[in-house]
Amino acid sequence: MTVSRPPALLTILLWIILEAIAAWQVRTPEGAPLLVTWVRAIVRPVAWSAQQIGHLTKDIALGTTNLEKVIVDNRSLRLEVERLTARNLILEEDLAALRDATSLLEGSLGYSDGAVIARCTFRDLAAGSMEVRTASVVYLPRDTPAITGGGLVGRVVRSEGTRHWLQLITHGAAAAAVQTSDGRVRGLVVGTGDDTLAVAYVPRQAMLEKGAVLLTSGGDGIFPPGITAATVVRVRETNDPFLEIGAAPTADLRSTRIVLLLPLWSANGGGERE
Amino acid sequence: MRLKLVLPVVLTLLVQRTLGMPGVPPWTAEILLPVVWIVAAALLQKERNWPYEALLLGLAWDVMFEPVIGPGGIAWSAAGLALYALAGVVADRSPKAWAGFGLVGAAMIILVHSAALVPLGLPLSLSLGHWLRSVVFTAGWCGLVGAVLVLDLPGQWQNYRARKLR
Repeated sequence: MTVSRPPALLTILLWIILEAIAAWQVRTPEGAPLLVTWVRAIVRPVAWSAQQIGHLTKDIALGTTNLEKVIVDNRSLRLEVERLTARNLILEEDLAALRDATSLLEGSLGYSDGAVIARCTFRDLAAGSMEVRTASVVYLPRDTPAITGGGLVGRVVRSEGTRHWLQLITHGAAAAAVQTSDGRVRGLVVGTGDDTLAVAYVPRQAMLEKGAVLLTSGGDGIFPPGITAATVVRVRETNDPFLEIGAAPTADLRSTRIVLLLPLWSANGGGERE
Repeated sequence: MRLKLVLPVVLTLLVQRTLGMPGVPPWTAEILLPVVWIVAAALLQKERNWPYEALLLGLAWDVMFEPVIGPGGIAWSAAGLALYALAGVVADRSPKAWAGFGLVGAAMIILVHSAALVPLGLPLSLSLGHWLRSVVFTAGWCGLVGAVLVLDLPGQWQNYRARKLR
């Protein structure tokens, strides 16, 4: 006779069922079946775990949402930082321009009466032109001199409200009467159409060396005298009766921020109001 | 167990009930009379599903003697499994084996029953003295049954009748 091995799992399951049946019959002091207490004891951790998982899921979802908001905020903040950085650069530029203007005014006390400060908004060195703007609407007569801390810049060729256009000293048609600081050598600085200048009409016997600084003489009736205009960079003798002189503007036209416009200067007035 | 054994089992339980009645010596109630059925099933190996029928026997025990139904089924089926395993390694089928199986069965029933009651919070009536007495008495009861089976009294009675009728 074969004796089959009883299925252990089924037997254990039966035992559990029997124990549960017995627990159903036993009452707790509160009167509830003990089985209910057991079920609660089993279900409670599961429910607690499910609740915690729910909270975790909710927190993760909230965290994800918040993360998206943080990312958006971060982008906004980055844009704000960039905007503030740009504004800071502008403010730095404004501050530097203001310092330039202050320095310019202090350095040109003789012409500052009635002078108008303007800010460079555009310049085309190849074309020899510059656009400047004033803070308020002002009419500037044609040929109003424009100077900067470095020296002569040019003259006004057009004025319209707060916008004013200058002809730079390097313009091919620009010219200014100059002399050395001791007044012994006189000439005419003319633009060459690029960023250099030429000094014309300097006699061959003139004592002029490389590195000499030329000031405006006021002889042209446009620019006031005593403004540094050019530095001699090349002197060459030719068969002509005049020296061939190359010069460079003393004003740094590439980085000029602020110019001082002298609308009230008059050659006849000698620096007084018209 | 076959269906024909239901009536003897019920009778055994009823006798067990009578052993606990007032007026009967108290120690007689400590004999687990139905243990002999699971011992017989294990030693005679005439039943294949006796672990589950032992479970039914235990449930019947619970119905008749216990405050809750269930732990008896566990205890008696556990004892049935233990005896099933023991019968596979013990070849002896003498009255001593019956007694030994009864001892193991009774010990298992009392211990497992008490263990099954622990989670329920019910007061345990287990004591070493009760356990020992119950085990010993039940072993004696099973050994007695084994001895009766060895004596084959029905066969001898038939032989006696046959000789007398000649």
